[in-house]
Amino acid sequence: MNNQEFNKIWKQPVIKIGVFTLLLTAALSFLPVGYLYFVHGVIPDLALALKAWGMIAALFGAFYVVEPVSYYAVLGLAGTYMSFLAGNISNLRLPCASMALEVTETEPGTKEAEVISTLGIAGSIITNLIGVTIAAFVGTALIKLFPPVVANAFKVYTVPAIFGAVFGQFAFRFPKLGVVGIGIPVILRLTTKLPAWALIIASVFGTILVAKILNERAKRSAGTTA
Amino acid sequence: MSPEILKIANEFGVWIIAALVVSVVAIQAILYTRLAYSTAEKLGMKKEKCNIAFRTGLVTAIGPVIAIFIVMVGMMSVIGGPMSWLRLSIIGAAPTELTAARVGAEALGVEFGSKNYNLLALATSWWTMAVNGIGWLLLVGLFSHKLESLREKIGGGDPRWLGLLSGAAMLGVFGYLNSADVVQGGGKLIAVVAGALSMVVMVKVTQKYPKLKEFSLGIAMLVGMFSAIIFS
Repeated sequence: MNNQEFNKIWKQPVIKIGVFTLLLTAALSFLPVGYLYFVHGVIPDLALALKAWGMIAALFGAFYVVEPVSYYAVLGLAGTYMSFLAGNISNLRLPCASMALEVTETEPGTKEAEVISTLGIAGSIITNLIGVTIAAFVGTALIKLFPPVVANAFKVYTVPAIFGAVFGQFAFRFPKLGVVGIGIPVILRLTTKLPAWALIIASVFGTILVAKILNERAKRSAGTTA
Repeated sequence: MSPEILKIANEFGVWIIAALVVSVVAIQAILYTRLAYSTAEKLGMKKEKCNIAFRTGLVTAIGPVIAIFIVMVGMMSVIGGPMSWLRLSIIGAAPTELTAARVGAEALGVEFGSKNYNLLALATSWWTMAVNGIGWLLLVGLFSHKLESLREKIGGGDPRWLGLLSGAAMLGVFGYLNSADVVQGGGKLIAVVAGALSMVVMVKVTQKYPKLKEFSLGIAMLVGMFSAIIFS
């Protein structure tokens, strides 16, 4: 199938669904604020609303841009729309997309990979929605079934363990890039006070740059020996 | 938070609103799943392969979702059930949402969860969570399709290099995410290292027993977690 056909059957509908659902959710996000106004007559005045907005944007504003740009190469188009609607990207969407590719032995960066990672992410969203819905309705009762030490381990250690595991999965395949990927942010953290968004850019695009250099070098030496 | 404020946060109307937002997420996932299956067929991919990919996502998510579940139940006692349900179904993990709720109260000059945390503070917290979340929703909703040209510019159409590029981006992302725990040391560092090592072992093991592949991340995660408890 050529790119033009793929555009028509995949990309265009993906964009249509993505734009519609994300903008709809953005609008629906304000319903709770509207509810407090219409039912209880309380709403922050303009000055307070803008102040709160400014304060939170100062903390997270850079991530609105940096995260989509940095994660796109891994998530693909549909994956990006899904991941940024459903959230929990690093601990759920990225690991599930990469495992789906690994299990089905699909080469990343291909048309098939777009479809496979989309399905992996969709599966993770279903589990996620079931989990949060159960938590919302019977969570308080269920939580008592967890022994405190287990509950605490899940709370504190799942995220680092997942981050480590996904790193291990890829470092096994690209050991040199693994050293670069962990080396850049660790060294920067120890030696500078760069904000988090700058650390993401440095480690993602720094690692891509090193990969590019290694790839060019491999191609050149393959060219000379052949 | 005072019981009266929490009671308002848990009113039936808020549950209805939360259900609306959660269903948009579910609908989107269903639409993309259907589209992926029909596209796979046109690409000549086996249906069984698609089923495996979907199931891998379902299974791999179980461990992390248990973690979200536990955090969410704690969060419900602070910001109420429906808002926790709504906010954790869309962009924004628990730490981000709690930060936004706290920042909203601070903008008003009230301490989050204190006696002075009144209805206006609640409204400001909810407002702040909403405007923070739409930052991602709007940028991704409006500009994602333009990112493709960025990938093409860096990727250059060479499939071998595109695969390498995705791997490098993944290592960069997770290198960054791991770096905080690595620098902090202690149990979290142990969790990272044990998680990474057991994943490498799982990759090797599953070369012999491919059926285990779907569970490899879940198993590596559990090994990482319990190593952290035992050795820290």
